[in-house]
Amino acid sequence: MTGLFGGRGLGLGRPPLWVGLICAALAVALATAAIYPLKAVAPPVALSVVYLPAVLLISAYWGLVLGLLASLASAAAFNFFHIPPVGRFTITDARNWVALGAFILVAAVVSTIAELARSRAVEAERRRGEADLAASLARELLRGANTRTALGTTARGMSEALHIPSAAIELGAVDGMSRLALPLRNADGQQIATLLVSRNLPADTVERLRGQVVPALEALVAIALRRDAIQAEAVETEGLRRSDDLKTALLRSVSHDLRTPVTAIVTAGHALAARSLTDDERRELSAAVVEQGGRLAALIDKLLDLSRLQSGRAESQPEWISIEEVLLAAREALPVPAAELRLAVGEDVPPVRADAAQLQQAFSNLLENAWRYSNGRPVSVVARRAGGHVVVRIVDQGPGIPRPEQERIFEPFYRGLQADNGWKGSGLGLAIAKGFVEANGGTISVDSLPGQGSSFVVELPISQLQEATVA
Amino acid sequence: MSPAVPADGAGAIGRARVLVVDDETQILRALRVILRDAGFEALPADSGEEALDVAAVQRPDAAIVDLVLPDLDGVEVCRRLREWSEMPIIVLSAVGEEDAKVRALAAGADDYVTKPFGPRELIARLQAVLRRSSDPPGDVVIRADGLELDLAARMVRRDGADVHLTPTEFDLLRVLARNRGRLITSRELLQTVWGAGYTEDTQVLRAHVANLRRKIEPEDGPRYIKTDPGVGYRFSA
Repeated sequence: MTGLFGGRGLGLGRPPLWVGLICAALAVALATAAIYPLKAVAPPVALSVVYLPAVLLISAYWGLVLGLLASLASAAAFNFFHIPPVGRFTITDARNWVALGAFILVAAVVSTIAELARSRAVEAERRRGEADLAASLARELLRGANTRTALGTTARGMSEALHIPSAAIELGAVDGMSRLALPLRNADGQQIATLLVSRNLPADTVERLRGQVVPALEALVAIALRRDAIQAEAVETEGLRRSDDLKTALLRSVSHDLRTPVTAIVTAGHALAARSLTDDERRELSAAVVEQGGRLAALIDKLLDLSRLQSGRAESQPEWISIEEVLLAAREALPVPAAELRLAVGEDVPPVRADAAQLQQAFSNLLENAWRYSNGRPVSVVARRAGGHVVVRIVDQGPGIPRPEQERIFEPFYRGLQADNGWKGSGLGLAIAKGFVEANGGTISVDSLPGQGSSFVVELPISQLQEATVA
Repeated sequence: MSPAVPADGAGAIGRARVLVVDDETQILRALRVILRDAGFEALPADSGEEALDVAAVQRPDAAIVDLVLPDLDGVEVCRRLREWSEMPIIVLSAVGEEDAKVRALAAGADDYVTKPFGPRELIARLQAVLRRSSDPPGDVVIRADGLELDLAARMVRRDGADVHLTPTEFDLLRVLARNRGRLITSRELLQTVWGAGYTEDTQVLRAHVANLRRKIEPEDGPRYIKTDPGVGYRFSA
């Protein structure tokens, strides 16, 4: 492959003229020399044919004019060196005049035919070059996933192939500034891109760019842009489908979680009306109604938190808060013996600016999660200062989280394995914790070794203002 | 219809005993009271494995199985029970568990009730499936609320008048009536009446059920063949 044009480029010219002259001289000299040994086996007059390959060669490469020149030179050399009287341009024998005339005629015909063949070959080459150019432009433009980057490669390939110093293709109408801007339009005549080339190009190259390159590029860029639009649509559709899948999973999960307490309450209510009810049963059933009602209320609160977070309406109202107080409040909100949730807050932990209620909810969810999975083994909660952050680490001795699940546990409605004690959460607590921590400028992550436990890490920024007052 | 299970669930052989499987103990407790009040005795189990143990030891007359259990899937419990028992099984399912419901019916469940359910509905379904299981198996004539099927003569009478059915319609009615109270999936009906190659042809089934209803049902709506949209049909006279 010799570049985009597959041939000699836009020049398509013959080899230089001076080379042609030297070649012609050499070829005529060679033929003249070759005739000497042949004179032993054939009459000199018949040997003029030896010049024909030389004439043919020159015409084929340098065209008719040099071909005819080579013919005349051959005739002269033949006359001078081989037609008696040798060493002079005079011809005594009339037959030799005829032979020389015939030779010139044949040579002229050969030259013409060669020139014809040559120009046909050149034309074919040019057409092939155009087809190659279009094909490579198409390949470059349509292969890449991204049309913008593909335009860069295409322009580079084109400038190499056309031997022009630089070329660029920009989407949309672009001001050429110091460069020549050739507009690329779609079928509706709307400018979709601009081909930028140097202003110092030869006129025929520019003509060629306008005549052949621009139309091909216009069609291809239009296709590439249409393809981009279709791909974007496909991506969007896929996104919608995924979000639909998520909503279906969500609905299923919520419907089960809501239905279970509702079923318990409804059945207990009916059972309370039973004729054969004992006092013990009445107490049990009424306790069940209260408990399941509480469970329902908690779930509804979580769903509301989540929907506020997802709709971006969970605006935090930052104030100066003490991490220790937030952690204590979070622990108090849980039905957990204090010994099972051990708090340790470093003395160097400064107050942070955050929404107290949101952080308390976030930590409450994290502590509950750790405690539920620990099955009675103590959970340690350590807060300390690290650089510009307050780092709170919640370490449990639960079953741990398998690595593939670690990335997903913060997704809403994702539920990990059931805890040893059979507890299974709503799949919302960690998503809400993450949402509230992030709403307050913090980050949350998990580190877990299956079989040994998990460690949830919350990092909250210490504000610059705070640094200033502390210093 | 059958003297074995009167409306209150107390039969000639004593109270019918019902295995109740649900992982929510509070639901189990409430169901025990409701069943007892309706004349049944509840045998509670809060996991699939326990349910299979209780069933094997106590030999209940029927079972109510929640589809979502902590260990075994409710569908699996149905399948295992069916390996050795013909007892009627009702599954408890939630909206959104359509797949599991159909799989449970295919695995041998007789009917399902959607959560949250009214106890009256659950008791009615329980009585219907128990009635079927107490039908004498060899009956040649099935009678239900004015409809009479003579299986040997392949004759159908409604309120004493002969009804002419095509052979396919008769087969369809026979399968439904012999499984009185049981919800039969479209797939199972197609397979039993038309053959194994027709299990997806629900349009055909729908057309034949429509024809059958035109011939045997009263003008004011179906009394014998009830549709469970998307799942199947039950004969519930």
